[in-house]
Amino acid sequence: MRTRIVTIALLAWGLVSVAPSLAAQEPTDLQALIDDAAPGAVLDLAAGTYRGGVTIDKPLTIRSDGAAVIDGGDDDTVITVEAPDVTLEGLVVRGSGDTLDREDSGIYVKAPRVRIVDNRLEDVLFGIFLHQAPDSVVERNVIGAKDVFVARRGDGIRLWESHRTVVADNVVDGGRDAVFWFCDDLEIRGNRISNGRYGLHFMYSDRALVEANALIDNSVGSFLMYSKDLVLRRNLISGNNGPSGYGVGLKDMDGARLEDNLLVGNRVGVFLDNSPQTVGIEQWFRGNLFAYNQIGALFLPSVKNNVFWENSFVDNTVQVTVQGGGRFSGNRWTNDGVGNHWSDYAGYDADGDGIGDVPYRLDDLYDHLLDRNPEIMLFSETPAARALDLAARAFPVIKPRPKVEDPAPLIRPPAPPEPPFDLGVQPSATLLVGSIAMMAFAVVVVLSTRRRRSL
Amino acid sequence: MTAIVAPNAERVADVPERAQRRAIVAIARKELGDAVRSRWFWMWAIAFALLAAVLASVALPGSRIAGSASFGRTAASLVALVQIIVPLMGLTLGAQSIAAQRESGALRFLLSHPVNRTEAFWGIHLGLSVALLAAASAGFGAAGLVTAIRSGGAQAGAFLRITVLAWVLVIAMLGVGMLISVFARRASAALGIAVFVWLAFVFLGDLGLMGTAVATRMPVDALFFATVANPIEAFRLAALGSFVGSLDILGPSGTYAVDALGPALMPVIVGVLVLWMILPAVGAWIRFRTAKDV
Repeated sequence: MRTRIVTIALLAWGLVSVAPSLAAQEPTDLQALIDDAAPGAVLDLAAGTYRGGVTIDKPLTIRSDGAAVIDGGDDDTVITVEAPDVTLEGLVVRGSGDTLDREDSGIYVKAPRVRIVDNRLEDVLFGIFLHQAPDSVVERNVIGAKDVFVARRGDGIRLWESHRTVVADNVVDGGRDAVFWFCDDLEIRGNRISNGRYGLHFMYSDRALVEANALIDNSVGSFLMYSKDLVLRRNLISGNNGPSGYGVGLKDMDGARLEDNLLVGNRVGVFLDNSPQTVGIEQWFRGNLFAYNQIGALFLPSVKNNVFWENSFVDNTVQVTVQGGGRFSGNRWTNDGVGNHWSDYAGYDADGDGIGDVPYRLDDLYDHLLDRNPEIMLFSETPAARALDLAARAFPVIKPRPKVEDPAPLIRPPAPPEPPFDLGVQPSATLLVGSIAMMAFAVVVVLSTRRRRSL
Repeated sequence: MTAIVAPNAERVADVPERAQRRAIVAIARKELGDAVRSRWFWMWAIAFALLAAVLASVALPGSRIAGSASFGRTAASLVALVQIIVPLMGLTLGAQSIAAQRESGALRFLLSHPVNRTEAFWGIHLGLSVALLAAASAGFGAAGLVTAIRSGGAQAGAFLRITVLAWVLVIAMLGVGMLISVFARRASAALGIAVFVWLAFVFLGDLGLMGTAVATRMPVDALFFATVANPIEAFRLAALGSFVGSLDILGPSGTYAVDALGPALMPVIVGVLVLWMILPAVGAWIRFRTAKDV
């Protein structure tokens, strides 16, 4: 039999304290502790390893200071929660199975009002899976996925019919998506999601508030689908460069609002597919920074009723375009006499009111050709492509019809939104040394010729 | 121009290979000295360094927000700059080399020493290569210094890879320039041809391919390989690959290349560049060796 000492301290509030000694030798039977505990009890786990594959079937708080490891032994789900009002706090959960159709998870919840906070999940297929667990809180967890081929990965966070849940300040790396199915009134705040497929993925989830998240180096930063009245605000969305990667993709959305987001260095900043889908609804894009993307905003043909104002479009290879060509008819680029800032605007502001006196027109010949001949994207940003645009301006006979007309372009870019996370990279010693070496080489070459002459 | 160092001629007696190497180095040093004293060299070196440093500093202010994405911007601008200036440096310097020396009689004087035509050719090539590498390094060093100090150093590896690619490009362009030089009758004609070749590489080739693609629905594989055959495009694609990571971003042709060539993609592109570095120079050497004119 195992050696263990169970200390039950019956304090006023019924705290149960468990201190397994010699824990290193054999995992403690957590299920037995759960079975022994009274409903509403608090299990304070001491440092050590506990056997996973447990089911919590009564309201319970299980917590630790990050030293209790619950190991699933690479099989099945590590912790299953079947009772409401369960709190899991400060645990290390590791080693779920890797079977996708069984949905092997770190923490799988089937009951409402759970709190999952400050846990670390390692080597799990699905991380935190809330299945019909409304009014829950998922906060400050760190989730690391199983290192398998992308098609075999599970979701770092997956919510199914779990309305009014708060998902905040989690860090998710790898895995597939953080995905929300049929969940209304979610609050998704301060999460940092990287190296996954879709950073945040909304399916039929209405009225979500998505704020101050960082979605970095995923295939798609955030894919919003079939949902209504979603607000995406102050997020940092960068480096989402999958072959069909988007910073934010909107498919069949209604009434989405994107405000003060930083969309930087993605393949496509914002992608619009049949959004808004209902006639008479407008979608707002205000105060966003679209910078250094391959394409700032990409529309499918016949997408209408989107309003863009006070955004900055800065040095995107293609600022905005319609897939397969065409014009942006039915969308507005100015609201109440305020347009957007365009880094390639070549007009002037003689009256000094901050608004350009001639409209911004997107009528690059190269862009125009690109719409119909996507294969010449091979030449984007070459001197030849620039020369083509220059020629089109000099000889307007081949000037294409403008795709976009912003009648009130902003001369100065609006102040960029404050980033939720600082991406500032460290000065690099390698580059410093390399650069100095290069300059030194140049100097030595020049000096060597001088010395020869003096001989 | 300074006289060829006499001691080399006296030492020719020992091992022929070593003597040949010594002759090449001596000519290279003389050529390097001439290049460094020429106005062309300083004009290119200073213009390139200034532009590179300015580009790096205007592209970086967004780095707190943009992180490494702003480095992508610096790199893209730098690549565009290199595409324009570096070939012009290599081509003009190469085109003037032999033709101008032939015209001024310096070549005849050089060949009156105990050096053969092979040694003279590779000596000139080596000297000019070192001069060009120094000029390119000064520019990249300046841009790199600005980038390193003002952050953006997350991709130091990519920056250094682009530098190496630019070195290869400048030597390739020198080779093409020298090829023009050995065929041209006069230095001014060589310079004119060099500028035209530069125009063809940088603008006309791409515009022609774009036009062909638009007019004839050229298949993407033909378009891709026709593009890579251009050394300046090979440089751009290789540089892009090293700081973006994948050529997927270049639309259907890029996706085709990634799919069709897989892990061989970068070696193929860099291979093209290396061939351009070797073949024109060898061609020029063969012509120069067999030609009777001095």
